[in-house]
Amino acid sequence: MRPKPFHLALALVGLVLGILLSVQFRLTTETMKTPQVSRVQAMAAKVNEARSERDRKQEQVNKMRADLDKIAAGAELGPLRVDLTAARIEAGLAGVTGPGIEVTLNDSNMAAKPGENPNLYVLHDEDILRVLNELRAAGAEALAINGQRVLATSEVRCTGPTILINRNQRLTPPFVISAVGNQDNLANSLKMRGGVIEYLQVFGIQASVKKVSNLNIPAFSGVISFDYAKPEAEVRNNQ
Amino acid sequence: MNKSMYLSIGVITMILGVMLAVQFRTNRFIEQSVPADRAQELQVEYSKLEKDIRKFDREIEDLTYKLEQAKKGQMQAREAIQDELKKARINAGLVTVSGPGIEVVMDNPPSQSRRNSIFIIRDVDLLRVVNELWGAGAEAVSINGQRMISTSEIRQAGSFININLERIEPPFQILAIGSPEKLKSALEISGGLADYFKDLGIVVKIQSHSSLTVPAYSKSLQFNYAKAVWKG
Repeated sequence: MRPKPFHLALALVGLVLGILLSVQFRLTTETMKTPQVSRVQAMAAKVNEARSERDRKQEQVNKMRADLDKIAAGAELGPLRVDLTAARIEAGLAGVTGPGIEVTLNDSNMAAKPGENPNLYVLHDEDILRVLNELRAAGAEALAINGQRVLATSEVRCTGPTILINRNQRLTPPFVISAVGNQDNLANSLKMRGGVIEYLQVFGIQASVKKVSNLNIPAFSGVISFDYAKPEAEVRNNQ
Repeated sequence: MNKSMYLSIGVITMILGVMLAVQFRTNRFIEQSVPADRAQELQVEYSKLEKDIRKFDREIEDLTYKLEQAKKGQMQAREAIQDELKKARINAGLVTVSGPGIEVVMDNPPSQSRRNSIFIIRDVDLLRVVNELWGAGAEAVSINGQRMISTSEIRQAGSFININLERIEPPFQILAIGSPEKLKSALEISGGLADYFKDLGIVVKIQSHSSLTVPAYSKSLQFNYAKAVWKG
Protein backbone atom coordinates (compact mmCIF):
# COMPACT_ATOMS: atom_id res chain seq x y z
CA MET A 1 0.00 0.00 0.00
CA ARG A 2 1.39 3.32 -1.04
CA PRO A 3 1.08 6.10 1.56
CA LYS A 4 -1.59 8.51 0.50
CA PRO A 5 -1.82 12.17 1.65
CA PHE A 6 -4.55 11.36 4.14
CA HIS A 7 -2.26 8.82 5.86
CA LEU A 8 0.09 11.69 6.57
CA ALA A 9 -2.79 13.77 7.87
CA LEU A 10 -3.87 10.93 10.14
CA ALA A 11 -0.36 10.56 11.54
CA LEU A 12 -0.27 14.32 12.27
CA VAL A 13 -3.62 14.21 14.02
CA GLY A 14 -2.42 11.23 16.09
CA LEU A 15 0.69 13.15 17.14
CA VAL A 16 -1.27 16.21 18.27
CA LEU A 17 -3.68 13.96 20.12
CA GLY A 18 -0.82 12.26 21.96
CA ILE A 19 0.74 15.56 23.06
CA LEU A 20 -2.62 16.86 24.21
CA LEU A 21 -3.21 13.73 26.24
CA SER A 22 0.11 13.95 28.05
CA VAL A 23 -0.27 17.67 28.81
CA GLN A 24 -3.77 17.04 30.04
CA PHE A 25 -2.54 14.29 32.32
CA ARG A 26 0.21 16.40 33.82
CA LEU A 27 -2.10 19.32 34.38
CA THR A 28 -4.64 17.16 36.14
CA THR A 29 -2.10 15.76 38.57
CA GLU A 30 -0.85 19.28 39.25
CA THR A 31 -4.33 20.57 39.94
CA MET A 32 -4.86 17.83 42.45
CA LYS A 33 -1.84 19.08 44.38
CA THR A 34 -2.96 22.72 44.70
CA PRO A 35 -5.85 23.36 47.04
CA GLN A 36 -9.04 24.13 45.24
CA VAL A 37 -10.43 27.59 45.17
CA SER A 38 -13.68 26.40 46.62
CA ARG A 39 -11.95 24.74 49.55
CA VAL A 40 -9.85 27.79 50.29
CA GLN A 41 -12.93 29.96 50.04
CA ALA A 42 -14.69 27.69 52.51
CA MET A 43 -11.67 27.97 54.80
CA ALA A 44 -11.67 31.76 54.50
CA ALA A 45 -15.36 31.80 55.32
CA LYS A 46 -14.69 29.62 58.36
CA VAL A 47 -11.93 31.98 59.48
CA ASN A 48 -14.23 34.98 59.09
CA GLU A 49 -16.93 33.26 61.05
CA ALA A 50 -14.51 32.32 63.82
CA ARG A 51 -13.26 35.89 63.89
CA SER A 52 -16.72 37.32 64.34
CA GLU A 53 -17.46 34.68 66.97
CA ARG A 54 -14.35 35.72 68.85
CA ASP A 55 -15.35 39.38 68.58
CA ARG A 56 -18.82 38.54 69.88
CA LYS A 57 -17.37 36.66 72.82
CA GLN A 58 -14.96 39.51 73.46
CA GLU A 59 -17.89 41.89 73.64
CA GLN A 60 -19.75 39.56 75.95
CA VAL A 61 -16.74 39.33 78.25
CA ASN A 62 -16.38 43.12 78.26
CA LYS A 63 -20.03 43.49 79.13
CA MET A 64 -19.84 40.93 81.93
CA ARG A 65 -16.78 42.66 83.38
CA ALA A 66 -18.70 45.92 83.26
CA ASP A 67 -21.62 44.26 85.05
CA LEU A 68 -19.32 43.00 87.75
CA ASP A 69 -17.93 46.50 88.03
CA LYS A 70 -21.45 47.85 88.55
CA ILE A 71 -22.00 45.36 91.34
CA ALA A 72 -18.72 46.39 92.90
CA ALA A 73 -19.91 49.97 92.74
CA GLY A 74 -22.57 49.00 95.28
CA ALA A 75 -22.27 50.79 98.58
CA GLU A 76 -20.01 48.64 100.72
CA LEU A 77 -17.68 47.40 98.04
CA GLY A 78 -16.20 50.82 97.24
CA PRO A 79 -12.57 50.26 98.28
CA LEU A 80 -12.57 46.82 96.68
CA ARG A 81 -13.71 48.38 93.44
CA VAL A 82 -10.85 50.89 93.45
CA ASP A 83 -8.37 48.02 93.74
CA LEU A 84 -10.15 46.01 91.10
CA THR A 85 -10.16 48.88 88.63
CA ALA A 86 -6.47 49.60 89.18
CA ALA A 87 -5.51 45.95 88.75
CA ARG A 88 -7.66 45.69 85.65
CA ILE A 89 -6.09 48.77 84.07
CA GLU A 90 -2.61 47.50 84.84
CA ALA A 91 -3.44 44.07 83.44
CA GLY A 92 -4.97 45.59 80.31
CA LEU A 93 -8.37 44.08 81.11
CA ALA A 94 -10.04 47.47 81.08
CA GLY A 95 -10.06 50.03 78.32
CA VAL A 96 -8.94 53.46 79.47
CA THR A 97 -9.46 57.03 78.52
CA GLY A 98 -7.49 60.10 79.50
CA PRO A 99 -5.11 62.79 78.32
CA GLY A 100 -1.95 61.69 76.62
CA ILE A 101 0.11 61.73 73.48
CA GLU A 102 0.13 60.00 70.14
CA VAL A 103 3.46 59.21 68.56
CA THR A 104 3.44 58.42 64.86
CA LEU A 105 6.44 56.60 63.45
CA ASN A 106 7.09 55.76 59.85
CA ASP A 107 9.94 54.44 57.76
CA SER A 108 12.50 56.92 56.52
CA ASN A 109 11.74 58.95 53.45
CA MET A 110 15.43 59.34 52.74
CA ALA A 111 16.92 57.06 50.15
CA ALA A 112 19.98 55.16 51.32
CA LYS A 113 23.06 56.34 49.44
CA PRO A 114 24.98 53.70 47.53
CA GLY A 115 27.10 51.70 49.93
CA GLU A 116 25.00 52.64 52.90
CA ASN A 117 23.07 50.11 54.87
CA PRO A 118 19.42 50.54 53.87
CA ASN A 119 18.51 48.79 57.11
CA LEU A 120 19.35 51.99 58.98
CA TYR A 121 16.49 53.79 57.32
CA VAL A 122 13.81 51.31 58.23
CA LEU A 123 11.92 51.34 61.47
CA HIS A 124 12.82 48.37 63.66
CA ASP A 125 11.22 46.59 66.56
CA GLU A 126 14.00 47.94 68.72
CA ASP A 127 13.06 51.53 67.86
CA ILE A 128 9.51 50.89 68.95
CA LEU A 129 10.77 49.21 72.12
CA ARG A 130 12.82 52.31 72.89
CA VAL A 131 9.85 54.60 72.41
CA LEU A 132 7.63 52.42 74.58
CA ASN A 133 10.31 52.23 77.23
CA GLU A 134 10.82 55.97 77.21
CA LEU A 135 7.09 56.54 77.59
CA ARG A 136 6.93 54.10 80.48
CA ALA A 137 9.80 55.87 82.16
CA ALA A 138 7.89 59.14 81.74
CA GLY A 139 4.99 57.67 83.64
CA ALA A 140 2.70 56.36 80.90
CA GLU A 141 -0.22 54.60 82.52
CA ALA A 142 -1.54 52.72 79.51
CA LEU A 143 -0.04 52.11 76.08
CA ALA A 144 -1.25 50.89 72.72
CA ILE A 145 0.23 50.48 69.25
CA ASN A 146 -2.17 50.87 66.34
CA GLY A 147 -5.03 50.18 68.72
CA GLN A 148 -3.46 47.05 70.23
CA ARG A 149 -3.08 47.33 73.98
CA VAL A 150 0.49 46.83 75.16
CA LEU A 151 0.66 44.42 78.10
CA ALA A 152 3.61 43.47 80.23
CA THR A 153 3.90 40.29 78.20
CA SER A 154 3.61 42.03 74.83
CA GLU A 155 6.52 41.44 72.54
CA VAL A 156 7.38 43.63 69.58
CA ARG A 157 8.84 41.79 66.64
CA CYS A 158 9.89 42.70 63.15
CA THR A 159 8.56 40.37 60.52
CA GLY A 160 9.49 41.82 57.18
CA PRO A 161 7.86 45.19 56.71
CA THR A 162 5.28 44.49 59.40
CA ILE A 163 5.53 44.27 63.15
CA LEU A 164 4.08 41.52 65.26
CA ILE A 165 2.65 42.24 68.68
CA ASN A 166 0.61 40.23 71.18
CA ARG A 167 1.46 36.98 69.38
CA ASN A 168 -0.75 37.24 66.35
CA GLN A 169 -1.52 40.86 65.72
CA ARG A 170 0.32 42.00 62.62
CA LEU A 171 0.69 45.76 62.33
CA THR A 172 1.79 47.75 59.31
CA PRO A 173 3.39 51.19 59.27
CA PRO A 174 2.73 53.92 60.10
CA PHE A 175 2.82 52.92 63.74
CA VAL A 176 0.80 55.05 66.09
CA ILE A 177 1.73 54.64 69.72
CA SER A 178 -0.81 56.04 72.16
CA ALA A 179 0.11 56.69 75.76
CA VAL A 180 -2.11 57.99 78.53
CA GLY A 181 -0.32 60.03 81.15
CA ASN A 182 1.06 63.49 81.82
CA GLN A 183 1.22 65.03 78.35
CA ASP A 184 4.21 67.28 78.98
CA ASN A 185 6.27 64.58 80.63
CA LEU A 186 5.51 62.09 77.90
CA ALA A 187 6.19 64.47 75.04
CA ASN A 188 9.36 65.90 76.59
CA SER A 189 10.78 62.48 77.34
CA LEU A 190 10.75 61.70 73.63
CA LYS A 191 11.73 65.12 72.33
CA MET A 192 14.58 65.88 74.70
CA ARG A 193 18.07 66.44 73.37
CA GLY A 194 19.76 63.14 72.67
CA GLY A 195 16.40 61.46 73.12
CA VAL A 196 14.73 58.81 71.07
CA ILE A 197 13.25 61.09 68.45
CA GLU A 198 16.52 62.85 67.79
CA TYR A 199 18.17 59.45 67.48
CA LEU A 200 15.54 58.23 65.00
CA GLN A 201 15.59 61.41 62.97
CA VAL A 202 19.27 60.98 62.19
CA PHE A 203 18.13 58.19 59.92
CA GLY A 204 15.24 60.16 58.57
CA ILE A 205 12.68 58.04 60.35
CA GLN A 206 9.55 60.10 60.51
CA ALA A 207 8.39 60.70 64.04
CA SER A 208 5.78 63.12 65.20
CA VAL A 209 4.27 63.70 68.62
CA LYS A 210 0.77 64.99 69.09
CA LYS A 211 -0.91 65.84 72.37
CA VAL A 212 -4.43 64.51 72.61
CA SER A 213 -6.68 65.60 75.45
CA ASN A 214 -8.92 62.57 75.27
CA LEU A 215 -7.20 59.40 74.20
CA ASN A 216 -9.01 56.10 74.11
CA ILE A 217 -7.02 52.96 74.64
CA PRO A 218 -8.87 49.67 74.24
CA ALA A 219 -8.62 46.67 76.52
CA PHE A 220 -6.45 43.76 75.45
CA SER A 221 -8.29 41.87 72.72
CA GLY A 222 -7.92 38.42 74.15
CA VAL A 223 -7.83 36.52 77.38
CA ILE A 224 -4.70 36.41 79.48
CA SER A 225 -4.08 32.93 80.78
CA PHE A 226 -1.01 31.47 82.37
CA ASP A 227 -0.08 27.88 81.64
CA TYR A 228 3.17 27.82 83.56
CA ALA A 229 3.06 30.54 86.17
CA LYS A 230 1.05 29.65 89.25
CA PRO A 231 0.24 32.25 91.89
CA GLU A 232 2.09 31.75 95.13
CA ALA A 233 -0.98 31.26 97.33
CA GLU A 234 -2.32 28.56 95.05
CA VAL A 235 0.97 26.71 95.12
CA ARG A 236 0.86 26.70 98.90
CA ASN A 237 -2.71 25.44 98.93
CA ASN A 238 -1.81 22.52 96.75
CA GLN A 239 0.98 21.38 98.97
CA MET B 1 -11.19 8.01 -1.00
CA ASN B 2 -14.03 6.03 0.42
CA LYS B 3 -16.71 7.16 2.80
CA SER B 4 -15.42 5.24 5.88
CA MET B 5 -12.22 7.21 5.73
CA TYR B 6 -14.10 10.53 5.91
CA LEU B 7 -16.07 9.15 8.79
CA SER B 8 -13.00 8.16 10.79
CA ILE B 9 -11.36 11.51 10.21
CA GLY B 10 -14.57 13.17 11.29
CA VAL B 11 -14.61 11.17 14.57
CA ILE B 12 -10.99 11.90 15.31
CA THR B 13 -11.45 15.62 14.79
CA MET B 14 -14.44 15.58 17.10
CA ILE B 15 -12.43 13.92 19.89
CA LEU B 16 -9.68 16.43 19.32
CA GLY B 17 -12.17 19.26 19.68
CA VAL B 18 -13.57 17.91 22.93
CA MET B 19 -10.08 17.44 24.33
CA LEU B 20 -9.12 20.95 23.42
CA ALA B 21 -12.15 22.29 25.21
CA VAL B 22 -11.36 20.25 28.35
CA GLN B 23 -7.79 21.38 28.21
CA PHE B 24 -8.83 24.99 28.01
CA ARG B 25 -11.12 24.67 30.99
CA THR B 26 -8.44 22.96 33.09
CA ASN B 27 -6.11 25.81 32.33
CA ARG B 28 -8.59 28.36 33.56
CA PHE B 29 -9.21 26.27 36.64
CA ILE B 30 -5.55 26.26 37.51
CA GLU B 31 -5.34 30.01 37.22
CA GLN B 32 -8.13 30.27 39.76
CA SER B 33 -6.57 28.02 42.37
CA VAL B 34 -4.68 29.39 45.33
CA PRO B 35 -1.06 28.81 46.27
CA ALA B 36 -0.71 26.22 49.00
CA ASP B 37 0.93 28.59 51.51
CA ARG B 38 -2.06 30.92 51.50
CA ALA B 39 -4.30 28.06 52.45
CA GLN B 40 -1.88 27.12 55.22
CA GLU B 41 -1.89 30.67 56.54
CA LEU B 42 -5.66 30.52 56.80
CA GLN B 43 -5.42 27.22 58.62
CA VAL B 44 -2.96 28.68 61.13
CA GLU B 45 -5.16 31.71 61.70
CA TYR B 46 -8.15 29.49 62.20
CA SER B 47 -6.51 27.39 64.88
CA LYS B 48 -5.36 30.55 66.66
CA LEU B 49 -8.90 31.90 66.61
CA GLU B 50 -10.23 28.61 67.92
CA LYS B 51 -7.77 28.76 70.80
CA ASP B 52 -8.89 32.33 71.53
CA ILE B 53 -12.53 31.29 71.46
CA ARG B 54 -11.89 28.46 73.92
CA LYS B 55 -10.18 30.92 76.26
CA PHE B 56 -13.11 33.29 75.96
CA ASP B 57 -15.53 30.46 76.71
CA ARG B 58 -13.69 29.69 79.94
CA GLU B 59 -13.65 33.37 80.84
CA ILE B 60 -17.38 33.68 80.15
CA GLU B 61 -18.06 30.63 82.29
CA ASP B 62 -16.02 32.13 85.10
CA LEU B 63 -17.71 35.52 84.85
CA THR B 64 -21.18 33.97 84.61
CA TYR B 65 -20.55 32.14 87.86
CA LYS B 66 -19.29 35.28 89.56
CA LEU B 67 -22.25 37.33 88.35
CA GLU B 68 -24.70 34.68 89.56
CA GLN B 69 -23.01 34.57 92.92
CA ALA B 70 -23.01 38.34 93.12
CA LYS B 71 -26.77 38.47 92.63
CA LYS B 72 -27.37 36.19 95.61
CA GLY B 73 -26.43 38.73 98.22
CA GLN B 74 -23.94 41.14 99.65
CA MET B 75 -21.66 38.46 101.05
CA GLN B 76 -21.48 36.51 97.83
CA ALA B 77 -21.04 39.69 95.83
CA ARG B 78 -18.07 40.60 97.96
CA GLU B 79 -16.56 37.17 97.43
CA ALA B 80 -17.10 37.28 93.68
CA ILE B 81 -15.46 40.69 93.42
CA GLN B 82 -12.58 39.54 95.57
CA ASP B 83 -12.16 36.56 93.26
CA GLU B 84 -12.14 38.79 90.23
CA LEU B 85 -9.67 41.10 91.92
CA LYS B 86 -7.38 38.17 92.60
CA LYS B 87 -7.45 37.18 88.95
CA ALA B 88 -6.81 40.73 87.75
CA ARG B 89 -3.92 41.06 90.21
CA ILE B 90 -2.33 37.88 88.88
CA ASN B 91 -2.71 39.13 85.32
CA ALA B 92 -1.29 42.51 86.25
CA GLY B 93 1.82 41.04 87.87
CA LEU B 94 0.88 42.08 91.40
CA VAL B 95 1.14 38.54 92.71
CA THR B 96 4.23 36.40 93.20
CA VAL B 97 4.17 33.44 90.84
CA SER B 98 6.10 30.18 90.56
CA GLY B 99 6.65 27.76 87.75
CA PRO B 100 9.21 26.29 85.39
CA GLY B 101 11.42 28.66 83.46
CA ILE B 102 14.92 29.93 82.92
CA GLU B 103 17.45 32.05 84.73
CA VAL B 104 19.67 34.33 82.69
CA VAL B 105 22.64 35.92 84.36
CA MET B 106 24.42 38.70 82.49
CA ASP B 107 27.52 40.48 83.69
CA ASN B 108 29.88 43.09 82.30
CA PRO B 109 33.20 41.83 80.99
CA PRO B 110 35.59 41.04 83.88
CA SER B 111 37.54 44.10 84.97
CA GLN B 112 40.98 42.87 83.86
CA SER B 113 39.76 42.63 80.27
CA ARG B 114 37.67 45.73 80.44
CA ARG B 115 40.49 47.66 78.82
CA ASN B 116 39.92 45.67 75.65
CA SER B 117 36.20 45.99 75.76
CA ILE B 118 34.52 49.30 76.07
CA PHE B 119 31.23 47.54 76.26
CA ILE B 120 29.00 47.51 79.29
CA ILE B 121 25.44 46.27 79.48
CA ARG B 122 22.99 49.06 78.78
CA ASP B 123 19.24 49.45 79.17
CA VAL B 124 18.61 48.58 75.52
CA ASP B 125 20.37 45.24 75.96
CA LEU B 126 18.13 44.24 78.84
CA LEU B 127 15.12 45.53 76.93
CA ARG B 128 15.99 43.25 74.04
CA VAL B 129 16.46 40.20 76.25
CA VAL B 130 13.13 40.80 77.95
CA ASN B 131 11.38 41.37 74.61
CA GLU B 132 12.83 38.10 73.32
CA LEU B 133 11.56 36.29 76.40
CA TRP B 134 8.04 37.70 76.00
CA GLY B 135 8.17 36.69 72.36
CA ALA B 136 9.04 33.14 73.42
CA GLY B 137 5.94 33.00 75.59
CA ALA B 138 7.27 34.06 78.98
CA GLU B 139 4.43 34.63 81.45
CA ALA B 140 6.33 36.49 84.14
CA VAL B 141 9.74 38.14 84.09
CA SER B 142 11.81 39.84 86.77
CA ILE B 143 15.23 41.49 86.71
CA ASN B 144 17.15 41.56 89.96
CA GLY B 145 13.92 41.13 91.85
CA GLN B 146 11.99 43.80 89.93
CA ARG B 147 8.90 42.32 88.32
CA MET B 148 8.29 43.55 84.80
CA ILE B 149 4.72 44.79 84.54
CA SER B 150 3.09 46.65 81.69
CA THR B 151 4.27 50.02 82.92
CA SER B 152 7.79 48.93 83.92
CA GLU B 153 10.65 50.83 82.36
CA ILE B 154 14.28 49.74 81.96
CA ARG B 155 16.18 52.94 81.85
CA GLN B 156 19.75 54.04 81.82
CA ALA B 157 20.44 56.63 84.49
CA GLY B 158 24.11 57.49 84.23
CA SER B 159 26.04 54.31 84.84
CA PHE B 160 23.11 52.61 86.54
CA ILE B 161 19.93 51.12 85.27
CA ASN B 162 16.55 51.86 86.80
CA ILE B 163 13.68 49.43 86.72
CA ASN B 164 10.41 50.38 88.37
CA LEU B 165 12.33 53.45 89.57
CA GLU B 166 14.68 51.19 91.54
CA ARG B 167 18.37 51.21 90.83
CA ILE B 168 19.75 47.82 89.80
CA GLU B 169 23.35 46.88 89.30
CA PRO B 170 25.19 44.11 87.44
CA PRO B 171 25.27 41.16 87.49
CA PHE B 172 21.75 41.15 86.15
CA GLN B 173 19.72 38.13 87.06
CA ILE B 174 16.71 37.73 84.79
CA LEU B 175 14.07 35.19 85.78
CA ALA B 176 11.41 34.12 83.31
CA ILE B 177 8.56 31.68 83.79
CA GLY B 178 7.38 29.76 80.76
CA SER B 179 8.40 26.76 78.73
CA PRO B 180 12.12 26.38 79.61
CA GLU B 181 12.98 24.88 76.21
CA LYS B 182 11.27 27.63 74.26
CA LEU B 183 12.72 30.41 76.38
CA LYS B 184 16.20 28.95 76.27
CA SER B 185 16.24 28.35 72.54
CA ALA B 186 14.89 31.85 71.83
CA LEU B 187 18.04 33.30 73.37
CA GLU B 188 20.49 30.61 72.32
CA ILE B 189 19.46 30.31 68.69
CA SER B 190 22.61 30.74 66.62
CA GLY B 191 23.07 34.37 65.70
CA GLY B 192 20.69 35.20 68.55
CA LEU B 193 21.10 37.46 71.52
CA ALA B 194 23.30 35.11 73.56
CA ASP B 195 25.80 34.87 70.71
CA TYR B 196 25.69 38.61 70.18
CA PHE B 197 26.45 39.35 73.83
CA LYS B 198 29.21 36.76 73.98
CA ASP B 199 30.85 38.41 70.98
CA LEU B 200 30.83 41.68 72.88
CA GLY B 201 32.54 40.01 75.81
CA ILE B 202 29.51 40.02 78.05
CA VAL B 203 29.20 37.00 80.30
CA VAL B 204 25.86 35.28 79.69
CA LYS B 205 24.75 32.21 81.62
CA ILE B 206 21.43 30.58 80.87
CA GLN B 207 20.02 27.86 83.07
CA SER B 208 16.72 25.99 83.00
CA HIS B 209 14.86 25.47 86.26
CA SER B 210 11.91 23.22 86.97
CA SER B 211 10.63 25.75 89.45
CA LEU B 212 11.34 29.44 89.80
CA THR B 213 9.69 32.16 91.81
CA VAL B 214 9.16 35.55 90.24
CA PRO B 215 8.31 38.19 92.83
CA ALA B 216 5.28 40.46 92.67
CA TYR B 217 5.47 44.12 91.72
CA SER B 218 6.08 45.66 95.10
CA LYS B 219 4.82 49.22 94.71
CA SER B 220 1.28 50.44 94.73
CA LEU B 221 -0.39 51.30 91.47
CA GLN B 222 -1.45 54.84 90.84
CA PHE B 223 -3.44 56.09 87.94
CA ASN B 224 -3.69 59.85 87.87
CA TYR B 225 -4.64 60.23 84.24
CA ALA B 226 -6.11 56.97 83.01
CA LYS B 227 -9.76 56.29 83.71
CA ALA B 228 -11.27 52.87 83.10
CA VAL B 229 -13.99 52.64 80.49
CA TRP B 230 -16.26 49.67 80.03
CA LYS B 231 -17.67 49.02 76.67
CA GLY B 232 -20.68 46.77 76.90
